[in-house]
Amino acid sequence: MDKLADFYQVSVVLTGYNRSRLMATGIGEEYFEVLTSLVPGKIIDELFICSRALAHEYKGEALNEKFREQILSNDRLGPVARNILKMWYLSLWYQLPQSWRETYGVPSQTPGKYQDIDFVISENAYIQGLVWPALGSHPMGAKQPGYGTWAFKPGEELTRINLGTDHPVSDIEEGNLS
Amino acid sequence: MNNNEHFDVVIVGAGISGAIMAQELGKNGKSVLILEAGTGTGGRFFSSDCDAPSQENSQPLSSYQTYMSTFFTALAKIPNAPYPNNANAPQPLVTDLAPIPQGQISDNGYFVQTGPLPFASTYTRAEGGTTLHWLGTCLRMLPEDFELKTRFGRGLDWPISYDELRPWYEIAEQNLGVSANANEQNYQQIDNPAVHIPFAASYEYKMEKIPQSYLDQYFSKGLAQMQVSFEGKNYPIDVVSTPQARNGMPRGDYRPVGAVGHETAGQRCAGNSNCVPICPIQAKYNALKTLEQAKKTGKVEIRTQCVAYQLETDEQGKNIARVHYKKYQSSDNPDHQCHAVSGTIVVLASHAVENAKLLLASNVANSSDQVGRNLMDHPTMLTWGLMPTDIGAFRGPGSTSGIPSLRGGEFRKSRAAFRIEIGNWGWSWPEGAPVGTVPDLIDEKNMFGEQLKNYIASVYPRMFRFGFLVEQLPDANNRVTLDDNYRDQLGNYRPVISYNVTDYTRAGMAAAKEVSDQIFQRLGIEGFTEYKPSDAGYLTYRGEGYSYNGAGHLVGTHIMGDNPNTSVVNKYQQSWDHPNLYLVGCGNMPTISTSNPTLTMAALTYWAAQNVLEALNPC
Ligand SMILES: Cc1cc2nc3c(=O)[nH]c(=O)nc-3n(C[C@H](O)[C@H](O)[C@H](O)COP(=O)(O)OP(=O)(O)OC[C@H]3O[C@@H](n4cnc5c(N)ncnc54)[C@H](O)[C@@H]3O)c2cc1C
Ligand code: SF4
Repeated sequence: MDKLADFYQVSVVLTGYNRSRLMATGIGEEYFEVLTSLVPGKIIDELFICSRALAHEYKGEALNEKFREQILSNDRLGPVARNILKMWYLSLWYQLPQSWRETYGVPSQTPGKYQDIDFVISENAYIQGLVWPALGSHPMGAKQPGYGTWAFKPGEELTRINLGTDHPVSDIEEGNLS
Repeated sequence: MNNNEHFDVVIVGAGISGAIMAQELGKNGKSVLILEAGTGTGGRFFSSDCDAPSQENSQPLSSYQTYMSTFFTALAKIPNAPYPNNANAPQPLVTDLAPIPQGQISDNGYFVQTGPLPFASTYTRAEGGTTLHWLGTCLRMLPEDFELKTRFGRGLDWPISYDELRPWYEIAEQNLGVSANANEQNYQQIDNPAVHIPFAASYEYKMEKIPQSYLDQYFSKGLAQMQVSFEGKNYPIDVVSTPQARNGMPRGDYRPVGAVGHETAGQRCAGNSNCVPICPIQAKYNALKTLEQAKKTGKVEIRTQCVAYQLETDEQGKNIARVHYKKYQSSDNPDHQCHAVSGTIVVLASHAVENAKLLLASNVANSSDQVGRNLMDHPTMLTWGLMPTDIGAFRGPGSTSGIPSLRGGEFRKSRAAFRIEIGNWGWSWPEGAPVGTVPDLIDEKNMFGEQLKNYIASVYPRMFRFGFLVEQLPDANNRVTLDDNYRDQLGNYRPVISYNVTDYTRAGMAAAKEVSDQIFQRLGIEGFTEYKPSDAGYLTYRGEGYSYNGAGHLVGTHIMGDNPNTSVVNKYQQSWDHPNLYLVGCGNMPTISTSNPTLTMAALTYWAAQNVLEALNPC
């Protein structure tokens, strides 16, 4: 099983965006790299296995409930899952909570490419943050929609850049990844 | 070290005021040197008649693009985020701000603040100056703003009238590239004669007004015919588009200067919604545009990384004989060399606080003891809420309209006037939305997946905020001073600032909050405004708490007047004490009133340039 595919699987449930929309950002692999360099492999594996198993067994609201129960409210997996969600929406890595770091963190001995501190993942990531399409606009400072578009009724912008319609998460994408 | 270099004019500061001076003088054949404390911007931008970086420019083409990258990857997207933090030319940051505990000094940023309240505004020290991150609002002052003392018994009168400044406003509006319609900006449609501004009969702005946002239109409809009452008198609430130095649709054959993109594509504002801190396509005016034109005269040299630190007078103490400056090689390293140059005329254009600092450090131009005093800003109070319906927040330039109908009136005898700015970027200013607020939805409100996405989609497009720019009067105790204990790494002084907000202004904030409450009631806006004692700008008035923010409008540190005992410059913007010294910038303005100050300051600077020219060419 490809770990990147697992990463997308958990990301779909977390973000509410479907897999093709997430892949279209072109930034998933960078988030995956950040995650795997800052969180111990064992915990990531546990998160992926758990998420895949849940998605296999449950759908829709039931899946969300189980996801909360098994992952989001779990002291080991919850903070990691929330950080993945924040990466997708805000393009930021937030330092993991103090208690998590004390218990599960592996202090980086040598300064690596990434450190577990607050940082913007990259210039391109900022532009691809999912919060912007979610709130119906474009990232501030990029993807300019064109002169005068702000005068239109929301949703009517003729020149608005649209990276593809955001369909609801489909069952197929949630469950059957392999 | 060559200390004999001489120019017709030496200008300190490559911001908007220095750039205007340089262009006007260079165009008239005068040799000009600009000393700029900050780093350069290299090949600046592509403009219609400047498709390639000039040869002599040694810096890489991509400097402006570097600012963009720095902005994208900055954690705190504050106004100064894109611009280098340069310990050799330090600058204040909004993130330095904190309440000042009673009797203490706050010196964690560049400013040393002695309080009692913190001075909340900032500026930029890099080539191009603070207009790199300004919003570009370009309002004229009202005629009554020039006569506050005479009409209302408050503040000071200006030594000039609106009518004298009017032709210079026209020049400034043309050269900065202001988009607006004269028949709206003269406010004749507003049922409050106090705010009417007489425009020349035939005058029109060079570009059509920037389209008003959907939110503005929503307010226009919802507030039609609304009135508020102050001291038993009714005043109208009118939503009017704001004049902006931002490329719109040109009228006739006018073409704005410089924006990225080809002329035929319009070079118009494309709605990047990022004017503060940086417009990616330079559709918003910044001083680099004027500097570029100044350089094209062939008479203007700009020396970056040169911090002016002292003005030396001749033996009689009459004229400024030399300007001393420190040239550093790299912003990481304090190593520098000291140089001096002379100018037949010397112009200080280094920003209100820095001009005052330089004069105080040199012990010149201060026979009135007014240098550094009367520091003013627009304490800016925000109110914010959720509109009952999707108004398309987070789109367009930062603000495209305001409510100017309460800018003037008899109430100024007892309390400050204000202008209301309608913000297009949701709660980005009051709450840091969306990047600053979404973590709370995830960590505290425990949202994820579809629920999170739908919540953002249904709430964020309804976010909106007002900004109330409340006027402040000149006060001799609000001032910039120097202290030998506080210096930067080059050994130059850091500004020591004492600041307070008087009851006159606080009463204006209270009146503003009442107007806001009435508008919220009328439109069914769900209010979320909160003023916390932990806010840096928290204050109380009659038992109620309010918070102010900085507007970036630093005014009044070397005021002009018609009496050498009470002012620093005369109406020609010439130092009363030193005939060859001119000061330009918002520091000259004796009062701030309710308009963002830069257009007025630019108009004054065009006039000052004319005065310098006449001084150099006596007939
Ligand atoms: C966030 C923000 C938004 C704003 N929006 C608006 C707006 O919408 N409308 C409006 O009217 N105004 C606005 N302003 C205010 C406006 O930017 C300033 O009034 C204007 O830039 C002042 O011009 P200046 O030339 O005096 O100073 P600056 O533009 O600050 O330029 C001064 C230059 O001098 C240089 N300098 C400083 N010290 C030295 C030294 N010792 N030696 C050599 N060089 C030196 C600096 O590096 C800088 O390049 C805003 C300000 C801020 C902060
Ligand atoms: S809205 Fe965008 S394009 Fe227009 S001036 Fe602001 S940043 Fe520039």
